[in-house]
Amino acid sequence: MNKTRKIEITVELIRIIAAVAIAYAIALLTLVVFSDEPVYIIQQFILGPFSSMRRLGSVINLAIPFTFTGLCFCFMYAVNKFNLAGEGTFMVSGCLTALVAIKIGDTLPPAVMIPLLICVGALVGVILNAIPALLDIKFNANIVVVSLMLNSMLVFFAIWILKYKMRDPSIGSLGSYLLPENALLPSILGKMRIQAGLIVAVIAVILVAILFYKTIFGYKMRVVGNNPLFAKACGINMVGTIVAAQLIGGALAGIGGSCEILGNYDRYKWVASTQHGFDGLMVAVLARRNPALVPVAAFLLAYIRIGADVVNSKGDIPVEFITVIQGIVILLVAAEEFMGKFKKNMIYKAAEESLAEDKKEEVKEILEESDGKEK
Amino acid sequence: MGMQKTREIPRFLCFQCQASERSCRWQLLQVKIGGMTMAVEVLRMEGITKIYGNGFVANKNVTFWLNKGEILALVGENGAGKTTLMKVLFGLENPQSGQVYMDGEPVKILNPLDAISKGIGMVHQHFMLLPSLTVAENVVLGIEPMKNGLFDFKKAVEMTREVAEKYKFDIDPLMKVSELSVGQMQKVEIMKVLIKGAKIIIMDEPTAVLTPQETEELFEQLILLRENGHSIIFISHKLEEVKRICTRVTVLRHGYCLGSYDLKDMNEADISRLMVGRDVILKIEKEAPHVGKTIISIKNLVKVNESGKTVLDDISLNIHEGEVVGIAGVEGNGQSDLSDVLSGMGGFTSGTVELNGSSIAGKTVHEIRQMGLAYIPEDRMEYGCAGDMSIRDNIIADRYFKKEYRSGFFVNRKYIDKIVDQYIKDFEIACDDKNQPVRMLSGGNIQKVVVAREFTSGSNFILANQPTRGIDVGAAEMIRKTIVKKSREEGTATLLISADLNEVLECSDRLLVMRKGKIVAAFPKANEVSESELGEYMLGLKAMTAEQMGGLL
Repeated sequence: MNKTRKIEITVELIRIIAAVAIAYAIALLTLVVFSDEPVYIIQQFILGPFSSMRRLGSVINLAIPFTFTGLCFCFMYAVNKFNLAGEGTFMVSGCLTALVAIKIGDTLPPAVMIPLLICVGALVGVILNAIPALLDIKFNANIVVVSLMLNSMLVFFAIWILKYKMRDPSIGSLGSYLLPENALLPSILGKMRIQAGLIVAVIAVILVAILFYKTIFGYKMRVVGNNPLFAKACGINMVGTIVAAQLIGGALAGIGGSCEILGNYDRYKWVASTQHGFDGLMVAVLARRNPALVPVAAFLLAYIRIGADVVNSKGDIPVEFITVIQGIVILLVAAEEFMGKFKKNMIYKAAEESLAEDKKEEVKEILEESDGKEK
Repeated sequence: MGMQKTREIPRFLCFQCQASERSCRWQLLQVKIGGMTMAVEVLRMEGITKIYGNGFVANKNVTFWLNKGEILALVGENGAGKTTLMKVLFGLENPQSGQVYMDGEPVKILNPLDAISKGIGMVHQHFMLLPSLTVAENVVLGIEPMKNGLFDFKKAVEMTREVAEKYKFDIDPLMKVSELSVGQMQKVEIMKVLIKGAKIIIMDEPTAVLTPQETEELFEQLILLRENGHSIIFISHKLEEVKRICTRVTVLRHGYCLGSYDLKDMNEADISRLMVGRDVILKIEKEAPHVGKTIISIKNLVKVNESGKTVLDDISLNIHEGEVVGIAGVEGNGQSDLSDVLSGMGGFTSGTVELNGSSIAGKTVHEIRQMGLAYIPEDRMEYGCAGDMSIRDNIIADRYFKKEYRSGFFVNRKYIDKIVDQYIKDFEIACDDKNQPVRMLSGGNIQKVVVAREFTSGSNFILANQPTRGIDVGAAEMIRKTIVKKSREEGTATLLISADLNEVLECSDRLLVMRKGKIVAAFPKANEVSESELGEYMLGLKAMTAEQMGGLL
């Protein structure tokens, strides 16, 4: 049986690589039709993100919010609750972080200010995610519907805050007052200009991985998510675990929103949903719900996005086209039975091999047994 | 020792056939010899190998055949591959290799519809009936008679009646299936198969759900069918039944076919040795229990379920330290509800239940477990384990919060690893290591994981609901022995609910019978009760009065 396990893991890896390869192949084929210089475009798409330190920095910078929301959705997956409030949470916590920063102003040193603002983001995340979580547990309200509706409300809530609480009338476009200097996350790693949120993200990944696989709470969460009936029969507190997991997930999405605003902007100016939440859902699926793999998946997604930007600026292909390729990758990776036949055939083959060995042994045993009897 | 030379030879040869081509030649020879007695082969499955998607090989190059007008027994332990082989025959599973012949012609069976059209019918272990429809409507399902584009109920009743008369089924086509007893439902299942013209009938453990009386009736029916020229494959692991009504037996073990034998040359011990590969001790040696104080006390327990049906009707019973109390009964007579109440999985309407002196009313499962409950649930995949999680994670599910299993917020991996390794050894769990996901184990080993957890929880009350259902004889034997051993050595109180009469008779000290949510009989000594007597109470032919049961509850 050990062989079966190995085959399952190997095929899983091959499957993801094949999915990406197929997506690129389809992209190339389509590019041949739509573009005058398909090879150049595809080259830019694949190699562009690595062509300069600046671009590599952009990839990592983009991977940071994906990591936070990806972790958020790992929690939702772990307890089998599709609480999608992470999307709105990201935007609103960015908004409220900006508001608090502007209100406090230059009074506090960065060492106090930044952690405080990140805590604001986390707190916003906890509160917002508690709404669908509690409605689900208390009133059995469909969590997908509730959280999606909540997202629409949150978008307009954030716009309202921006328009009526912190709009800077001195600039032409819709935007908040300048964020105070002491609240901004510094750039790190020199030329790559990566926001310091990276450090927070790395810490978050490590802590979440430990929480998932080493702690009592993580254990409970996994049991509840894997088989709720079994958890109930063993006396595991389901309600508490399910709600707590969603709140922690919400906090992570909230921190993501704060870091994004403090790391990449000088003023708050989001007027539409940022999609970081739904991207996080995608990242969690790509990472097979394993928090330790979330940064890898986030990097992959960010790499595709930046590749798209590069192509967009250099070639004759619109950025929407790239979204299609992205869709294909996700589709193939998420389709668990993709290459299922290949996996099964490998398993059959391994089983047949060990079968042949077993047979030899058993025949030998029987022969010995009957020899023994004759004596 | 043991087997005589004459029996030894066919067994050896036949096993050898699995390894080489010689086998077939030998079996062909058998057919030739059989030919003298005018046996006509209606079905042959040759070299069937079936591997499931998880790498489990259920059938390994199995060859067997069925003669016209015979009842062939297909025996083997649970997990030996009987059901899989029949699923292949019925078109439910695709084998990796092998060929099916019918009347000497190679055929390919694509799906169950195809199998039915080729004259193969299957009576499943779990009935596939629509309870809200009448017998006639169920029987004609799939070949509904039509008149003017509408369902012709009259014709359906007529057709059903015709079949019932021809094969002497005493059943009213106008009755609703929900009003039938289990035995009657099985008759409807058989009629369903017959009306579609099946010549080969597969019966998958037909007697498992029947009382001894119903089994008798079924046997008469099967013999009648045989005389009408039907060929029957009878799957069972009750050897005395096999010996009674079958002419030949095909034995499977671990997916291999150990050959087909004429039953007049075999006794029950021979078959069981072939099935298990060793002598099975069917009797459990146990001394009289040292009964101590009351552990669990149930008084006037009533439960009305959501649909308003009284499923537990005024049940009172005490279980003491050191004794095993068995509950027998036809499934669906309130046993599951009783187990739900005691385990805290479901509530009850009135009455009291006290475990170790305190009431369980309103307590959570966690609290009841803390009060001394260990619980082996009826459905191990649904309530007994988390399939994708490791053996280790499954074993600590009821105790992860205890002091020695944790260090602060963290799981005490070192201690847990040590304990789990020990349990794997003690309970003989066949696995790669403790990190293996439970879903990859066999049924018997999954149940051992469940049992390893529940038996080591330190509780003094064990609620075991169908603890050995659907697992191999070896694992079942170990679990039964452990139940008895724990009661004798550690003074555990055990409530054993089982549909397996053998099991309750073997393991229990006191034995109760449940019917329609009531306790209808109580016996002070389980080993002095006969199966047929038990059957009469289970079926409701007899019931004890409260006085008769006085002091036994």
